[in-house]
Amino acid sequence: MKRLRIAVPKGAIFEDALRALDSAGLPVEVVRENGRRLVYEAGGFEFIVSRPTDVPVFVEYGAADVGIVGKDVLEEGRPNVVELLDLGTGWCRMILAAPSARAEEVREAIGHAEVVHVATKFPNTARRYFEGMGRQAEIIALHGSIELAPLVGLAECIVDLTATGTTLRENDLAVLDEISTSTARLIANRGAYRLRNAEIAALVDAMQKEGLPLG
Amino acid sequence: MQRPTPTRKFATTPGTRDVLPPEAGRLLDVQARIRERFRLFGFGEVLTPALEYSEVIEEPRLRDASFKLFDPDNQMVMLRPEMTTPIARLVAQRLARSPSPRKLSYFLPVYRRASVGRGQSAELYQAGVEVVGSRSPQEDASTIALLVDVMTSLGLRAPEDFAVVLGHATFYRAYLEYASPEAAPAVMRALAAKDLVGVERLVADLPEGVAAGARDIPRLVGPAVNGEVLKKAARYASGADEALGALENLQEILRHLEAYGGLEAVILDLGLVGRHDYYTGALFEAYAAGLGFTVANGGRYDNLLSRFGMDLPATGFAIYLERLLSVLPEGDPTPLLVLVGGGLDGTRAAGALREMGVPTLHLAEDLAPEEAVRYARSVDAAWVCYPSENGLELAPARGDAPFEALGVEDVAGRVLGREVIRG
Repeated sequence: MKRLRIAVPKGAIFEDALRALDSAGLPVEVVRENGRRLVYEAGGFEFIVSRPTDVPVFVEYGAADVGIVGKDVLEEGRPNVVELLDLGTGWCRMILAAPSARAEEVREAIGHAEVVHVATKFPNTARRYFEGMGRQAEIIALHGSIELAPLVGLAECIVDLTATGTTLRENDLAVLDEISTSTARLIANRGAYRLRNAEIAALVDAMQKEGLPLG
Repeated sequence: MQRPTPTRKFATTPGTRDVLPPEAGRLLDVQARIRERFRLFGFGEVLTPALEYSEVIEEPRLRDASFKLFDPDNQMVMLRPEMTTPIARLVAQRLARSPSPRKLSYFLPVYRRASVGRGQSAELYQAGVEVVGSRSPQEDASTIALLVDVMTSLGLRAPEDFAVVLGHATFYRAYLEYASPEAAPAVMRALAAKDLVGVERLVADLPEGVAAGARDIPRLVGPAVNGEVLKKAARYASGADEALGALENLQEILRHLEAYGGLEAVILDLGLVGRHDYYTGALFEAYAAGLGFTVANGGRYDNLLSRFGMDLPATGFAIYLERLLSVLPEGDPTPLLVLVGGGLDGTRAAGALREMGVPTLHLAEDLAPEEAVRYARSVDAAWVCYPSENGLELAPARGDAPFEALGVEDVAGRVLGREVIRG
């Protein structure tokens, strides 16, 4: 039987993801021990580590059977995968924010359906948010340092993730609205979920018994 | 060396491609073998136009995905994004008076705007069948059995290499409507998006008696042979008559599948409900080990024909041929011989070889042996051959074996791998 391949995201939820797998009894030590490999094999499992936004790509194509990824990434890309379990960890929220000094001005501009410039790493999420309210926005897609955009006049406001709000405070940004909240999810490839259901259901069970999601 | 900048407009458009030998040959061979199986089950093949009026296709998702253009009357037309609706239109328009069921098949490409970055093709070769005019679960079973038959006859084994995942569009919906009519639409939307976390969240507040069923039914997945999945489902659904009816429908389908000998290939998944509002009964998706996408999908769609003014139940499936091809074991290449030059002698030898059934590519130019071998490899030929004074000189295109003088019949025997006697 081929090993079950699990995609683990680098970055903010890497440790949470490993802990969740660890407490479900998976041999994740190999992943911690050697940070330079791309594929780790242990027991009946194979782990791959990738950028969070790439996890659903590996899973959708079946290059990984299951993966762990934030709900924010799923909302943005809407990959065709099965969402199996809320791990409850990696909590953060998707917010609309603007420089404190101009927050009211921006709020009014949006309220009057003026076209505002929005910098974000989540263009689809931002577009759907503004369309859903019947408001207009020009979405400017960036890959990092979103907070910089309103400071230098690239955009009036931003759509971004925040967990503690520290970055927002440091850059004197005020939250105008909360678009959604996000936690880490276990996802599965559609084919693997059916063809290897016994293994994947057992993994879901084992992960569910640990760290139960809140609400 | 500086490469010339390629002219973009001389490439194929995004999502489309040229299919070259030997892949095109394999694709057409697979198509031919599937056609044999479809005929064996009595299906008649149809061709429909690549262009349809845009009104023919109703589903927003497919309308969005389709290529649109305007005809000379300034009407919007679409390149067909799927085949089921065109066949429904065809039946309503052309076969309205013929007796049910109409059993039709097709082998045609469909066109969808490729979603960028998801690697999806804009032109997808499909093979499929539609059974129009019967409500019988036996027809659901026979279409699934045909799909299993096709996959098996192409050398795939169930359940190691592939499985047909069988679900039902109304079982869970009927259970929800019995358990909690208010929650049902939102839960069904979440499930159609395969968001089981969302389903759990939505049903968490339901009364205790029904919450467990609402939470667990979409996660009931397992092989059809052992009957566990349906037993559990029936326990949850006791009291919900419409839901139990849907289960009975599934059971009937499975009984017939067992009689067909196709039950081994079936995995039940009661969380498989299909796209919103399209399927009306049993539906299924075929998956192959090692491929993340569906190889085929289908199901019962009893409401589609009413759009065209006929109230006819129907079921069917479509196979994505390129995906199927990608999981098939690689077969032996057809034997091909490159016969080099030789003027009139060469032409006569080519004729004699072809008469004995040897696929022969005859080159007019007298190429040197190393060039001839290079050419042979480029066309996937297994053999290179020169006419000589008293017969032919034959060598394999791969490996270092030297040329060997042989008679025409011996050459034919070598190439075809069996003894050949000239008639």
